[in-house]
Amino acid sequence: MNSRYVIKAIKYALLQLVVAIFIIMWLAPLYAMLIGGFKTNMAAASTPIFMPPSQISTEAYYFDWFGFGTLIGLEYPMMRQLLITVPVALTSVILGSMGAYYFYVEMERRPWVSNFGFSIISLAAFLPAQTLTIPIIKLTSSLGIYQTYWGLAFAYFVFYLPMSALLMSMFLPVVPKYLLESARLDGARDWATFWHVVFPIVLPGFLSTLIFVFLMVWQDFFIPLIIATKPSLYMLPVAARQYVGGYAILYNRSFAAGVITSAIPLVIFAFLGRYFIRGLAALGGGAKGV
Amino acid sequence: MVAIRVENLTKYFRKGKNVIKAVDHVTFRVSDGVAFGILGPSGHGKTTFLRLIAGLEVPTDGYIYFDDELVSAPNRVVVEPERRNVAMVFQNWALYPNMTVYDNIAFPLKMAKMSKHEIDKRVREIAEELELTHVLNHYPKELSGGQQQRTALARALVKNPKVLLLDEPFSNLDAALRDSARALVRRIQRERKLTTIIVSHDPADIFSIADIAGVIIDGKFAQVGNPSDIYSKPATTIIAALSGDVNLMSAKVIEENAVIANLKIPLPVSEKEVGDEAIVGIRPDEMKLLIEMAQGIQGFVNVGKVKVKVSSYSLGVFRVVISPVTDESIELVVVSDEPIQPGTEAYLYVRKDRIKVFAKDGRLIA
Repeated sequence: MNSRYVIKAIKYALLQLVVAIFIIMWLAPLYAMLIGGFKTNMAAASTPIFMPPSQISTEAYYFDWFGFGTLIGLEYPMMRQLLITVPVALTSVILGSMGAYYFYVEMERRPWVSNFGFSIISLAAFLPAQTLTIPIIKLTSSLGIYQTYWGLAFAYFVFYLPMSALLMSMFLPVVPKYLLESARLDGARDWATFWHVVFPIVLPGFLSTLIFVFLMVWQDFFIPLIIATKPSLYMLPVAARQYVGGYAILYNRSFAAGVITSAIPLVIFAFLGRYFIRGLAALGGGAKGV
Repeated sequence: MVAIRVENLTKYFRKGKNVIKAVDHVTFRVSDGVAFGILGPSGHGKTTFLRLIAGLEVPTDGYIYFDDELVSAPNRVVVEPERRNVAMVFQNWALYPNMTVYDNIAFPLKMAKMSKHEIDKRVREIAEELELTHVLNHYPKELSGGQQQRTALARALVKNPKVLLLDEPFSNLDAALRDSARALVRRIQRERKLTTIIVSHDPADIFSIADIAGVIIDGKFAQVGNPSDIYSKPATTIIAALSGDVNLMSAKVIEENAVIANLKIPLPVSEKEVGDEAIVGIRPDEMKLLIEMAQGIQGFVNVGKVKVKVSSYSLGVFRVVISPVTDESIELVVVSDEPIQPGTEAYLYVRKDRIKVFAKDGRLIA
């Protein structure tokens, strides 16, 4: 065996080792969460975190779902979360696409309008929600939608509409200008052009952005925290935190809640993850490869 | 079916500090039903001109009228492209990739809110005329170049436009397909008496389709007229080169002949008019090569002896590169019926009435 082959083999082995370490690091918390949810409260507090339970107990899941004493069950928050997140994500990305279309078309006619608008939404997308706590609460209050689903949706839109428009702007240039001109000459106005010509072409990018925004809205903790503070309105991320208190932490219930909360995103990613990755890859490649 | 009138039309583009005069104060008209061809080098304003007529560009100055209706004014598009009833076939056809051929063709009718029944009737009619019936359910990417082009044409014609605009419509086709594509467009234009403007850098497109042609150089029309007039009497050497293959040779004028090495070409003008130097232009198809001197061919004059350098074949004819026997550095191209061996000496005969004389600066004298 010559030395070149040996070096190659060592490199390969090292690479596998590094990858294995990363995988273990990533999966470790997930593993702890999974097995932790199946321990009894005593067991969770006294056994090492990575040790599987000696007896599988479903008490954590049962009490998490249906509630116990002053802790509300996650059944209703889960339903509320689904009820809100899906329409909000969908509406956000559709409106965001329309916004991106507008920026794209306006670059021809009045580039300064397009650039200005684009700068504003970039700012809005990356502004931390925490800085707008008081304004959001005041605004939703005076609109009478504080502590309502509409208020939640409104707050989500404030942050996720600009982000959706920003992301979709990356995908819009895939549509060639001459197609838009052809549509104009065929008598199509903006609405028709958007739905018949633009949207079918950016659909892959749309799905990518939709998955991304859905996941971000689903796990958003802060907005439900400030808008839906009544227990009857608790959303999933906020409700899942009930098990951490000032005097005690119910570890097994916490882990189970984590699993329940991340179940849906995990399923989505398992089935639709490839579209998301494709979208990101297209983004990196200038969105032409979609 | 409309007459297009353009007055003082100007379009400037600003790129940083540079101003590009794409269209420079152009005034002319295209009468109802006429096919107008615009010839010119790339980047000189042909496509910009077309887009101004379509309403896709806003004039910097000048007015555009369809019949007597104002459609474009300085810095203003008065009638939007959507409402001009203008059909345009883009260079790359601009077919909607996510729609079938049927939907592509039906699209303008759908936008006009026509009934489904009427749309179906019209789409099938035009599909049959353009031989697209069997691909109506296919998507553009599944079609051949010729089929894609006919689809673009069908989509343009299905809405019975007032004006048809063609932007280099054949440049994406194989050379073999171009002739039949040109014939098709010509037939459609004549049958429907459709006011048409075709833009191309290929003179063959203009000659086959246009009634009147204009050559655009630097945003202005350098010559406007019958295509065959432009071909046989180009106003400048540049126009001569744009409108077809041409041999342009610098010559000394001695008495009434232009002398190029050992070739003596009789000129239709006197030395006084021309000066002592001129440029002579003759097209490859305006000359003949004969191995033996003939008695005299009607209309042709023997200008001297030449030697064959290369003989090649292109698009159905033999192209022979020759040089005067006394000067190998000068090369001319002649069209021939048969291939001639390199090295052969022959006599060059030139059509007397097609000898073009240009002054040193390129202007046509005769």
